[in-house]
Amino acid sequence: MLHHARAAIARIRELFRARSHSAVEQNDEFSFHIEMETAENVRRGMNEADARRAALLRFGGTQRWAEETQSARGVIALDNLARDARFAFRRLHRAPAFAAGVIATLGIGLGAAIGIGTIVYDVLLRDLPYESPDQLVRVGFITDGIGISGDMHSPATYFHFAKSARSFTELGAYWTSDDFNVTDGDAPERVTVALMTPNTFTLLGVRSLVGKLFEPGDTSWSNVRNAILISESFWRRRYGADPSIVGRRIDINRGARNVIGVVPRSFDFPTPAVDIFYPAPVPVKTAQITARGFNVIGRLRDGIDPRVAAAELNALIPSLAERFPAITPDMLQRSRARVSVESLKSATVASVRPQLVLLGVLVAVVLLIATTNVVNLFLLRTERASQEIAIALSLGATRLAVAERFVIEGIVLGVASAIVALPAAALALSTKFGFTAREIPRLHEVSFTWETAALVLGCATLIGAAVGLIALTRTGLGGLFDRLRASRPTSSRTWRRAQNGLVAFQVAIALVLLVAAGLLGRSFWNLRNAKIGFEPRNAMTFQVSLPWNGYRSYADAAVFHAKIVDRLAALPGVTSIGVALRVPLAGRGGSSLDLQLQAGDGEGRPTVASAGNMASADYFGVMGIPLRAGRSFRSGDLRGTPAVIISELLAKNVFGTTDVIGRTIKQSRVGSQPMSFTIVGVVGDVHWERIEDGYAPMLYFPLQRDGDGLPSDRSAVPGRPMDVQFVIRGTQLPSTPTIQETVKELDRRIPPTNIRTLGSLVDAATARVRLTMLLIAIAGIAALLLGVIGVYSVVAYTATSRVREFGIRLALGAAPTRVGGLVLGDGLKLVGIGIVAGLAAALGTTRFLRALLYEVKPTSIAEFGSATALLVIVTVCATLIPARRAARTHPAVALRAE
Amino acid sequence: MAKPTTNEQVLQGTLDLLILKTLSLTPMHGWGLTHRIEQLSQDALQVGQGSIYPALVRLEQRGWIDTEWRITENSRRAKYYRLTAAGRRALGQELASWNRFVSAVGLVIAAES
Amino acid sequence: MTIRQQTDALRGSLDLLILKTLSLVPMHGWGITLRIQQMSEGILDVNLGSLYPALQRLEKNGLIASDWGTTDNNRRARYYRLTAAGRRALGQELDSWKRFTTGLDAVLRST
Repeated sequence: MLHHARAAIARIRELFRARSHSAVEQNDEFSFHIEMETAENVRRGMNEADARRAALLRFGGTQRWAEETQSARGVIALDNLARDARFAFRRLHRAPAFAAGVIATLGIGLGAAIGIGTIVYDVLLRDLPYESPDQLVRVGFITDGIGISGDMHSPATYFHFAKSARSFTELGAYWTSDDFNVTDGDAPERVTVALMTPNTFTLLGVRSLVGKLFEPGDTSWSNVRNAILISESFWRRRYGADPSIVGRRIDINRGARNVIGVVPRSFDFPTPAVDIFYPAPVPVKTAQITARGFNVIGRLRDGIDPRVAAAELNALIPSLAERFPAITPDMLQRSRARVSVESLKSATVASVRPQLVLLGVLVAVVLLIATTNVVNLFLLRTERASQEIAIALSLGATRLAVAERFVIEGIVLGVASAIVALPAAALALSTKFGFTAREIPRLHEVSFTWETAALVLGCATLIGAAVGLIALTRTGLGGLFDRLRASRPTSSRTWRRAQNGLVAFQVAIALVLLVAAGLLGRSFWNLRNAKIGFEPRNAMTFQVSLPWNGYRSYADAAVFHAKIVDRLAALPGVTSIGVALRVPLAGRGGSSLDLQLQAGDGEGRPTVASAGNMASADYFGVMGIPLRAGRSFRSGDLRGTPAVIISELLAKNVFGTTDVIGRTIKQSRVGSQPMSFTIVGVVGDVHWERIEDGYAPMLYFPLQRDGDGLPSDRSAVPGRPMDVQFVIRGTQLPSTPTIQETVKELDRRIPPTNIRTLGSLVDAATARVRLTMLLIAIAGIAALLLGVIGVYSVVAYTATSRVREFGIRLALGAAPTRVGGLVLGDGLKLVGIGIVAGLAAALGTTRFLRALLYEVKPTSIAEFGSATALLVIVTVCATLIPARRAARTHPAVALRAE
Repeated sequence: MAKPTTNEQVLQGTLDLLILKTLSLTPMHGWGLTHRIEQLSQDALQVGQGSIYPALVRLEQRGWIDTEWRITENSRRAKYYRLTAAGRRALGQELASWNRFVSAVGLVIAAES
Repeated sequence: MTIRQQTDALRGSLDLLILKTLSLVPMHGWGITLRIQQMSEGILDVNLGSLYPALQRLEKNGLIASDWGTTDNNRRARYYRLTAAGRRALGQELDSWKRFTTGLDAVLRST
């Protein structure tokens, strides 16, 4: 952006130089004049001195004439400009349809293009907002040989590189965690914490807003400072920007810490959601490379290339074994351990780069289409106005003046469309199309600034002027003049073909988008109406995560949960309450079918993978999950062989039938004895993470109120209910503050989280499809509109240029409908090609939507058919207008017009 | 400077016309133009010979005349002015306009009552 | 002709037109413009902004004189009339104009 401004300034400076150049010219001219007059006077008999004096006198004040000449130049130019603009306004006023068409097309196209373009630029191309960002890199440690994915480090690898590598001024490590609750004050709150080695701050070049940053010693366990940093937004939100925040003690469920400083809002590493920063230790007690959870970033030394750094680190890998004997060279080799060094910017946006690039390309295409349409509209209008122009020319208007008129009209329209484009772009950038920072990294850096506004205005004006010029060159003023004498189509063949091609292209794109929108629409509909297996109405859920202190056993946790249930049950309007480890569609990332199950008597048969849950007796009833056979849990189910309930799908997968009450089911576990359970009930299936994945086979362990009185060191079932979901059904559901109060009264440290209705779970599950569907539907409608305008303008333009031919035909006795039919035929041919191309393209590309489609085939006939039909109807209507006009041509007028 | 006489003012008004007409015969530079006009009209441009230059600029902006730097016979560099096609067309109209004006004044002068 | 040029030319010949008009009958300013318009069959349209300064100048130079009078609709207005000096000046202006237009004509007709 800056170099654009510089170029513009250079151009203006040139203009001034031209001005001073003309001043020099003028001086030359005046001197010449005076010398000639002097010479003439000398010829008449004066002496040199008198001659010159007389000449100067005769000339008049040089200064004055110089000024008047300069101002004549400027004033005339300005006059002309103002007059042209006025005329442009008047002409456009007389052709509102044309003006509206151009303004709408250009406005929406430009607004969307710049909105999306800004997002693409800010996310992909703009430098990260840190010091010397091109030196920042992400260092990855990859060991695909032993099946570990990702590029995170273990403490050992980080330690090793940090100590030995020379290519970096600093190497820092960090990871984030959601497992922290801040428990001071009235309202406990779950926070996002980033654990960072102290040098990460200096590496990125951040300064504290208040207080100080970490010192290297802060990471040791025994450090008495217990330092933490908090983010500016957290500081303002929770502590009201308390100026005495430094030194304040904050109670956190992992232990109280002292705030030593506040980090400014502009620092949003690793994500803007981070509230608290912990100094991260790098424990190398057990040197290994298999348990890896550190992200490592570094700053390259001046002049060092990332590839050089990567080479150095790769060369350091063998010495890992020397430093840590527990890491054997054999393991390093087997794991194919290697290092990757990638610019931090790249690494941050890598996940969305392909989509954003695609988006960028699409936007360029849309802009191209919009501009082409506008050019076509201009050409169409020019054809009609050509008579007017020819007359103006014959009356003495110069070509320059007529050309100016085109360009000014274009600019006026351009500026007018900016008025539409600005709010469009502002809307796009403020809503960011509904995306959040979770889907697109760095999205929070995107905003609508005055630079964006200037860009919109500038582009609009430029495009307007360019369109005017293009229309001008296509008509060719010489050609226009000829039109008064002989009739000849003024556009060349290749231009005509290009126009047709572009319109067919638009039609094709519109078809593809409409088909995609249709497919997604039906998927969305299917998703909303899918049998989810539970009743989402009149129910809500919230989550409670127990801290380690005070809840060491299953029984402890269960008792606590029971207390909450009792309190909530006493509220008016509450009908029933259930507790479980998980609720369907809660989507906490990664569907895990982590139980391996077998029929109790099915030795040798392969194990079946299944999801595992823990549920209270009332859970099924509250959720509306039907009980197909047997019973729900009851007291005593943990004793002896514990009871379990399984879903229909699991029953069929393991036993081949749902008649399994009383049978035994075994869970195989790696490294320990399998556990056996008795099946006491079979329930209906539910979805697990996503509706699209279908039902998940599910095994429910009992969540008994009192732990069934078992001793706390015995665990009858795998796992303790530390993070559970409560489900409440009733005629009147408790409000969020009520729930928070209730839980707080029982344990101050625990904040209930994810308080929402069951209905919102279903909404969230369909949100992704819904969003994509909406986007594509909007794009499809826009493409349809553009396509229609495109078809109309090209067909009308062609028809107008054939008006003489039509006149002759009509004069020779052809039926008007025949002439109209000619135009219609032209249009249909165009649309036909577009549709065929579009169908082919759609067939080829809709398979990429497969991930989003639910119970809809990518080649579903219904959608293809209806989209095609819609497109045909609309475009044919667009063609009818010029067809009718052609049919109504007056032969005399048509022939005379040429 | 004394107030311009009647005729000088009228002359200013017809300056454009005079320039166009003179250039229609042959391209000239600025001094040549003033000289010729003064010759033919036998009336000095009292306002100053330099007044021709703003007029020339205006005509150029309109696209009625073209300019070109050339070398004169005495090997001096001078800016020559030349009528364009549009200027030629304009000349015809300006002439008609002027004639209308002159006849109109003539009517007033000739009126008896 | 552009408006500006016509104004120049008109202003230049304004003295002549005023003197001639007043030579027929004394009248007030508005009447003068009306008369000029009539006599020129609508072609010459003098605007009052240039008329009055011209009238003042001519009066200062003694070529015309003015008196207050009443118009047809019983309004007070300044009536102007030609003086003897003005009559002489008119003759000079006429000659000058004839010379000027002949000279100009010569230029404009030249090939």
